[in-house]
Amino acid sequence: MGRRGRVHHEDAARRLSAALDRMLGALADPKRRRAIELLGERPRSAGELAGELGLAPPAMSRHLRALKDGGLVEDGHPDFDARVRIYSLKDGATAELKQWLAETEALWSHQLSAFKRHVEGGE
Amino acid sequence: MTAAVIVALRVGVSPDVAFDAFARDIGMWWKSHPLFQLSRKGDGVLRFDPAGPDGRLVTRFDDGKEWEIGPVRHWLPGERLAFGWRLPSFRADQTTEVDVRFEAVGDETRVTVEHRGWDAIPQQHAARHGFELMLFQRRLGEHWRGLLKAMGTGL
Repeated sequence: MGRRGRVHHEDAARRLSAALDRMLGALADPKRRRAIELLGERPRSAGELAGELGLAPPAMSRHLRALKDGGLVEDGHPDFDARVRIYSLKDGATAELKQWLAETEALWSHQLSAFKRHVEGGE
Repeated sequence: MTAAVIVALRVGVSPDVAFDAFARDIGMWWKSHPLFQLSRKGDGVLRFDPAGPDGRLVTRFDDGKEWEIGPVRHWLPGERLAFGWRLPSFRADQTTEVDVRFEAVGDETRVTVEHRGWDAIPQQHAARHGFELMLFQRRLGEHWRGLLKAMGTGL
């Protein structure tokens, strides 16, 4: 993840324009737009998506391929099962949000440890 | 968009004692961390004012100025303490909530802090990030669990 955003070739503009065309093409279909909405809620398997969109598996595969080519969706395997392919929306969380999560987690880990020392009579 | 941080710790007292100490002694046990301060002026001295369901979490800085971190949402002694959480650095449209639960585990208490929020990120943008965020949060959780274990705090 996070592979995008580092385009440093001279023909970057042309490739960007082609990528944009693919993305818009991917979004031109209402079923694919609905798939994007569903994936925005949470990652899903192709089977789940097909069920929710009322599509046969081959049609779902076609749509997912279009969404992947459009740079909107990516697939991966959850840690617990390499056989399962899970689709999710592409692009990472913002650095700012990640920073907030990391700092907040560090803050509470620190404060809860301090609380433990206090409540157990250390201080 | 709601992101969440969950940190849990076990303390060797009953839920009632843990709740009271958490709520009433917060000015004593809260220790400013050099890297994660609540504001540029440090953390100040925190208190629930008044200590009860209608209270607010307030901090008082060294210069005498006060900052309301957030209102109390739930005050259930021995069970649950929830409050809003806004720091001076937050943007106007950014709010977060802290929910602290106290559960008996044998004769000890598991204290779980769940801090969620970050609604300021536009929906359109935030909607894209489910999976990576999930992985990121899980890794973060593992990191801190490891650290706490190493400190012998017995998660």
